[in-house]
Amino acid sequence: MKIEVMLYIYGAVCISMIVFNIIYNLLLQHREPLLKRRYRKMKNQIAFQLQNIENNGKITENHLHFLAKKLRRINGLIVFYRVISEMKKEPINCFDLYLNQIQPVVLYLAVEYLDKENLQAGYFTYFLSQCKTRRYRPMDSLQDILLKYLEKDNLYCRCNALQALYDFGNEDHVIAALQLQDDGKVFIHEKILTEGLLSFTGDHEALIQKLWIAFSSFSVHTQQGILNYIRFQSGNYPVQMFSIMQNETMDKELRLSAIRYFGKYYYAPALEPLLHFVQDNDPDHWEYATVAASALSLYGQEKVIEVLKDALCSGNWYIRYAAAQSLTAHHVEYSDLKDILLGNDRYAREMITYHLESTKLQHAEV
Amino acid sequence: MTDVYKLFFDYIGAYFILYMIGYASFLFLSVTVGSSILYQLKRRNWLKNELQGQYYVPVTIIIPAYNEEVTIEDSIRSLLALEYKLYEIIIVDDGSSDHTAEVICKAFHMQEIKRPIQRKIPCQPEKAVYESYDWKVPITLICKQNGGKADALNMGVNAAKYPYFICMDADSVLQHDSLEKIVRPVLEESNVVAVGGAVRPCNGTKIENGRVVSYHLPDKIIPCMQVLEYDRSFLAARILFDRFNGSIIISGAFGLFKKNIVIDAGGYDASTMGEDMELVVKLHVFCREHNIPYRICYATDAICWTQAPEKLSDLCKQRRRWHIGLFQSMMLHRRMLINPKYGLVGMISYLYFLIYELLSPYIEIFGIFSIVLAFLVDLINVPFMILFFFIYVIYSAVLSLTAFFARIHTIDLKLTIKDVLKAIGLCVVEVSCLRLILAWVRATALIGYHKRKTVWGNIERKKITFK
Repeated sequence: MKIEVMLYIYGAVCISMIVFNIIYNLLLQHREPLLKRRYRKMKNQIAFQLQNIENNGKITENHLHFLAKKLRRINGLIVFYRVISEMKKEPINCFDLYLNQIQPVVLYLAVEYLDKENLQAGYFTYFLSQCKTRRYRPMDSLQDILLKYLEKDNLYCRCNALQALYDFGNEDHVIAALQLQDDGKVFIHEKILTEGLLSFTGDHEALIQKLWIAFSSFSVHTQQGILNYIRFQSGNYPVQMFSIMQNETMDKELRLSAIRYFGKYYYAPALEPLLHFVQDNDPDHWEYATVAASALSLYGQEKVIEVLKDALCSGNWYIRYAAAQSLTAHHVEYSDLKDILLGNDRYAREMITYHLESTKLQHAEV
Repeated sequence: MTDVYKLFFDYIGAYFILYMIGYASFLFLSVTVGSSILYQLKRRNWLKNELQGQYYVPVTIIIPAYNEEVTIEDSIRSLLALEYKLYEIIIVDDGSSDHTAEVICKAFHMQEIKRPIQRKIPCQPEKAVYESYDWKVPITLICKQNGGKADALNMGVNAAKYPYFICMDADSVLQHDSLEKIVRPVLEESNVVAVGGAVRPCNGTKIENGRVVSYHLPDKIIPCMQVLEYDRSFLAARILFDRFNGSIIISGAFGLFKKNIVIDAGGYDASTMGEDMELVVKLHVFCREHNIPYRICYATDAICWTQAPEKLSDLCKQRRRWHIGLFQSMMLHRRMLINPKYGLVGMISYLYFLIYELLSPYIEIFGIFSIVLAFLVDLINVPFMILFFFIYVIYSAVLSLTAFFARIHTIDLKLTIKDVLKAIGLCVVEVSCLRLILAWVRATALIGYHKRKTVWGNIERKKITFK
């Protein structure tokens, strides 16, 4: 290729990039006024239908057709979402009734957007996740379609679909959704799973019961999210957690999560195993010892103090740190720690001194 | 003799044609790909394809400080105003000779405490540790013996309580939502070990509570040209390389790292000046050699505002330091060069930085000398040379402007006509003059670098007007 040709090509592309920039900027400036005009039109339409509901109890057939036609396009859906978000803030009597009556359109849109590009499908699930008026009211066909959105290779689409399902409050659909997202194609962080489950609007206890039944069907990653959710939500499951903690064939992270459960909820039978974890000198087991030492801050027995004091002399920095933290949580006095404070173990002494001083500082300044 | 000259210049001509085509193609590719990705991201956000909830990954912010008494208080106050909930702030005073520590202690009611710090990475010993729990998040000040910026960062990593840490400069300000944005990749992808933020010059920008309230190009010419330069290089070496997990630079002004992997890799190298680049290259090497799945990525919307040097002398000092850092990092990890074991990082990223960053000033200076020599022996077509230079300036300027406008449009900043005209005029000056000056500075940077290789850069600081 001649150099000149290359220069011309590059030059032409450069000029087209500048032109693109200018056009894009003009479009951006034009987009908001356009959306505002559509917003006003849509708001008037909806206000008229609200009036209809007040007079006749229902919206017109034409309005459903209008919505089905307009909301198929992404800009129409964006405008509609803006209008209803704004209207939800106002005390309008029949607004919920209006949202109920447009459900056939929502169902139709759910099928339409399923075949659209991932970004638009993601927006539709966002729209559903934000329109929370239908919580507690099962609408199985919409939820069944939502499950299909969980098969899409788009993280945001999956997260928004999950969120919408949490808002519907149906345990079976949530469990089916968790199983679908667990296909290994898209990574969903366990924090997202935990936070999402915590926002479930149905019966948490019923959901947890069903999660326990289906527990083994999930990957370790999802199991971890579920265990964290149970830890934050309910103290009613020490038996199941105890069995996970004691099961040596279980994944390390799951066992650690179970140990943390007993740091949040007191369970007398867990004390001995926790002490055993802390006393375990196997260097490969330091994480169990550290988490167990933290969990022991909830167990006030004399034996616990002794074990924690021993752990202060551990060769592992993290175990010493956790033990010192637990000891200060037990409000031990300087006199109780005399042997450490005056002892020969400099590391233990430094660690406990720091935590005592730091706690004092925190209490003085809070 | 003329034949010898002709042959010599033929070879030089062929070499430079290849060199220029390579660079032009790369720049072209990076700006087009980078701009289109920025627009895609804009569309993605417009269609709410983003995580909706507030997910907090615990983060430690480490600020290494050396003689930062002018800016440090405002920097910390800006950090306390962040919307994020779960973080701590650690300031490491690396043996300042001014009143950096006193300013912090007084402003934030720090109390001295005997805190044991585990030396997971070697660093100079601490002289005193102060803590304060009087604020939204815990603040720790560690005063240590002087050991350089990398050493101070290592101390911060050792003292960090959380699993992720952010390194940032004492003269920088984070945008209100930048912590939330920089941890997003950790939640969105598995195996993320480092995330780079977008560093922008704050000269000319008015920031209140971490929000941009008015944006203008700086009044002074030097920082203004740096704004254009930052945007171009941001699209090139950041977004394009990010496509294939090939980023080898995360700015020391704003980057997030997974603590345990940094510790396992050995932390920051205190013997180099470019500790930020060295760490990222080291993470690539460490993860690939140990078969650890990893991802190093960019959060284009996590923004850190930093002071660009306003004087040419300060800019030259900064670029000299960067070039020495680049040289040291590349020499330390030279085994990566076109080594298939390191994948595209060794085959593309390393090669690009070697040819178009490390060696480019020498090649450019050599090119200028060749032109002068050719002129002296009357072997140059002067009108063509002027035309070629003109094409080069226009081409580079258009790409710089494309990068600049792509960034401005995709973050909804509004420019005045004056700013647009200023950008157009100064991008021509930047590619035709400043670039040559900086090429000379970088070409001479390695002279006597052994003496200065671990000293902190001494650039004039201005108080940040943080409200």
